[in-house]
Amino acid sequence: MLVTWKYRPRNTIVQRMDPRTRLIFMVCIIFALTIPEIWDYRIILPLFLISLTLYLLARIEWKDVRRVWLYISILVFFIVGLNGLLSGRGGPSSVTNIPSPVLFEVPIKIPYTEIGWDVPITVSKTWFALNQMTRMLCMAILAIPIPYTMDPNIYGTAFKRMGASDNVSFTMDLAFRFLPTFARDFSITLDAQRARGYEIDKLRGGLFARIRRLAPLIIPVVMQSTVTGEEVIDAMDLRAFGTAPRTWLKDLKYAPRDYVLLGLGVLIFIACCVLKWVFGIGGYFVPEFFTKFLVG
Amino acid sequence: MNDKNTWEFGTRQVVYGAIGAALYGVFSWATNIFPLPAAGNVTFRPAVAVLIFFGVAYGPWVGLLAGFIGNTLGDALSGWGFYWNWSLGNGLMGMLPGLAMAAIIDFKARSDIFKGVTWGTIGIAVGILFASLTEMFVGGIDLNTALLGYFVPAFLGNFVVTVILLPVLMIAFAAVASRRGR
Repeated sequence: MLVTWKYRPRNTIVQRMDPRTRLIFMVCIIFALTIPEIWDYRIILPLFLISLTLYLLARIEWKDVRRVWLYISILVFFIVGLNGLLSGRGGPSSVTNIPSPVLFEVPIKIPYTEIGWDVPITVSKTWFALNQMTRMLCMAILAIPIPYTMDPNIYGTAFKRMGASDNVSFTMDLAFRFLPTFARDFSITLDAQRARGYEIDKLRGGLFARIRRLAPLIIPVVMQSTVTGEEVIDAMDLRAFGTAPRTWLKDLKYAPRDYVLLGLGVLIFIACCVLKWVFGIGGYFVPEFFTKFLVG
Repeated sequence: MNDKNTWEFGTRQVVYGAIGAALYGVFSWATNIFPLPAAGNVTFRPAVAVLIFFGVAYGPWVGLLAGFIGNTLGDALSGWGFYWNWSLGNGLMGMLPGLAMAAIIDFKARSDIFKGVTWGTIGIAVGILFASLTEMFVGGIDLNTALLGYFVPAFLGNFVVTVILLPVLMIAFAAVASRRGR
């Protein structure tokens, strides 16, 4: 077992961007959709297209993200989409409150009983499910490329330059450095336990017994790490950590393209808030063309 | 056994926060392939016991950082991206047990282990509830799905893991700490 970061240097415009820009832009989009509660497709669709463009510009190979997309698809289409289609809940109350033509009914029955009911699938619920999936994908496709396209060595610097304290940024930086070490320790422990006859692949017994039998894998690694921690603390104390502001090896500088994306992110967030709270635009409604398309 | 100033945030907290995060990230990554029978992205994580342990042993800041950064690392290693509400929920899950740190004197005493498990359970309940409820705004699920589809399976899975593994971790830690003398 080997922990490897999914990151690979690629000569793309996305990777040339400052990591802070990408993180702040992602937060702006998430906040723009969730804080003023935007459910209007005229806003969601352009935002989705912007997110999709950034995702495509990252040029991540399909083989790298195939499993992630399978997982995201199941989550978005079968769980979020189906939930929206059947219940119409999870968004504004107007989804189920506004009068809407019923397309068909889905009979739902509790297994082995006669108890059941017919769930009406309305035009409103269908539109909501589509909106909901686009909205979620819009946020997810901004986050998916991060582990593949952002150098793990600059997370600490990025957070420091975004205003986090030395302590928090250093925790972040140390965590990234410790990760491969502990993954190696875990691998060595696994091999050592296997040599003693421990069979990870054949954990027998009930749930409790199985969990308890994970202890020989977890305990040695955790306890060794607590000992390592004391040594690191001593080393850091000897270097007077925490007595004065730190300097960082890597420096980050915004380029003009970063200012453009940052400006766009902030503009989107402010525009969504103003549209919703000042002009009342951005709430949920079913467009005429969709109703006509479904019911004629 | 350790500094009992609950809210101190110095070198010790920075280092153990990072160690807790790295361990939580590695163990979460190793088990992220085991989904729970839940509505969404909820997986079976024995690593939660490690997170609770770091909170109980080193305080709320360590628990918060280990949970927040560790969950982010685990998701990043799995290639899932960044889900801020789940990371923050995991942070709370580590932070609340940290409030018991000052009350725990002997890590192998039954009463102190009970305190650790109780505070761990509170942490799991609050952390998972926060993540599940915020998923209503982020993922657009309804309250029923948030509670029955996300909260209940995740809470039960994490609770069982904590009840079984946390006492073992605490007893092992007591032995290591007594050998080390601090």
